[in-house]
Amino acid sequence: MPNLNEYKDVWVFTEIKDHEKVNNCALEILGKAREIADDLNQNLVAIILAYEADKYISTIKQYGVDKIIYINNIELKHYHEQIFPELIFNLISKYKPSIFLFPSTEASSALSARLAYRCRTGLVNNILNIELDKNKGDLILTDKPAYGGIYSVKIVCPNTRPQICTITAGTFQKQELKKDNIKIIEEKYDFDINKINIKIIGAPTRKDKPSASLSDAKFVIGGGNGLGSKENFEKLYKLADLTDAQVGGTRRPIFNGWMPEHLQIGISGESIKSNLYLAFGISGAIQHVVGIKDSERIIAINTDPNASIFKVSDYCVIGDANEILDGLLKHYKVE
Amino acid sequence: MLNIYVLIKQVPKSDNLQINWKTGALIRKNLENVINPDDIHGIELALTIKEKYGGKVTAITMGPLQAEAALREAIAMGADKGILITDPMFAYSDTLQTTLVLKEVFEKIGDYNVIITGIETSDSSTGQVPYQLSEALGIPLITDIFNYEFEKTLFRCQRNFGHESQFIEVNLPIIMRIGRHFNTTRHIPLSRIKRAFEIEIEHIDFNAINCPSEIDGCNKSPTQVIKTEKLIHKRKNEFINGTIKEKIQQILQIMKDHGVEKHWIGKK
Repeated sequence: MPNLNEYKDVWVFTEIKDHEKVNNCALEILGKAREIADDLNQNLVAIILAYEADKYISTIKQYGVDKIIYINNIELKHYHEQIFPELIFNLISKYKPSIFLFPSTEASSALSARLAYRCRTGLVNNILNIELDKNKGDLILTDKPAYGGIYSVKIVCPNTRPQICTITAGTFQKQELKKDNIKIIEEKYDFDINKINIKIIGAPTRKDKPSASLSDAKFVIGGGNGLGSKENFEKLYKLADLTDAQVGGTRRPIFNGWMPEHLQIGISGESIKSNLYLAFGISGAIQHVVGIKDSERIIAINTDPNASIFKVSDYCVIGDANEILDGLLKHYKVE
Repeated sequence: MLNIYVLIKQVPKSDNLQINWKTGALIRKNLENVINPDDIHGIELALTIKEKYGGKVTAITMGPLQAEAALREAIAMGADKGILITDPMFAYSDTLQTTLVLKEVFEKIGDYNVIITGIETSDSSTGQVPYQLSEALGIPLITDIFNYEFEKTLFRCQRNFGHESQFIEVNLPIIMRIGRHFNTTRHIPLSRIKRAFEIEIEHIDFNAINCPSEIDGCNKSPTQVIKTEKLIHKRKNEFINGTIKEKIQQILQIMKDHGVEKHWIGKK
């Protein structure tokens, strides 16, 4: 059993996105992590692994950190599945953080899972909230969705350290705060290149990645069976073009041949976290509703005043989805 | 000939979960269990590899005795063998404990070439085991694969990784992780269902593996679930009234309040 008292400080992995900027979600996490560090009277530490790592320090300094630990090397230009876990595991062994938070990006999700194994500790991913368990020292309570998002489970990691979590973008707010005397520490890059077990023969930039995915979109327009026809459904794409939105929908439009499968929102499709979701002709079956619950505001348009979608919406419009859609299109076209 | 192992999990069917509204607990009575959706695609991949390169497909699951049903379904699809890892010592294992057990099982098996996993399970959605098993066995995990080929002890494929679409080459053994969009699963012919019940499922329990003292699902899982509740979403439930024109105007206002403005394409 490790001596838990040796573990101190709240760490945030400030992932660098595309070798160009600090991941926004990591900055959001710093805001919440600052509160936790204050309550524990411990340091908030940002961890940077990057090529030209020092160029991100000035940004991270704006978000309440006490300390920044960074490693700079050209091999760290992009996430590497063997190098990153090893270097960070070495940092954890040296400094012994109590809490280590990651943005739930593709790279950080992979990295945190590997670290949790190496540290033989717990990892809670995609959490909805995090708070200190009062009177239990540095123990944190985390909430995460389970069973397709119908439930929330509260998870603790009482006997091992660090306590590792990944956090979805938009969960917390960025808080600008400049501390005095921020300590900057550079750690050495030390990795034996002979350990690399995947040989990369070629690596062209991928072309399939859409500019904005459904799950990252700030404004999503959804359609259901109530739209009545493929022709009507296609108006959603027009409105989306005019308003910089992403289109998604329920299962029925896929069966009807109106929409490709990858645009499905809900249990077997994508979950959205938009600022606004506009639901046209959607009845509100639970399979769909679990995929939209993280949308900040929901407007639903349906002819049936008893449609269950209204129970989970902020703004309920009883009316013909097509008529409303035509009206909105007309407004944006003539504006 | 490849020794292909596919990891599957039995999960509650998520589209008809019944909830006790007073306690917020899942009602397990009459609950239908199915193979985790991702994992069926894993079985399909295993069978496809076997058909093309030759080999033996073994489905593995960890769980209570009822999880045998998932293995029989895998056999009905075409798997040659099923292994159930089951022991009260493994109950309540979290991802770390599950990984530690799988590590021992694969070290006992020894001659594995390919391990296939899904992306995540529909009940706990952690997605951690593929990465952790890669750490535990010290073998590469290949995700987001397309255009793969095997050549003796080599595996070549194209995979999406970060911003790149990489052509890679690795030595076996490997872990391949795939999702629901990777392939289309086959139908189970009736004749195979009969066969699925004739094949004996191998059981592996705590004593069958070289268990280090760190394995104890119930007492040594680092994460503990202390509460399960129904997710409640507070919504305004405000009805928007008026003529159709007025309704449209109000919707436009809400859109504007949420930063939705006309987006100009092309010429400004």
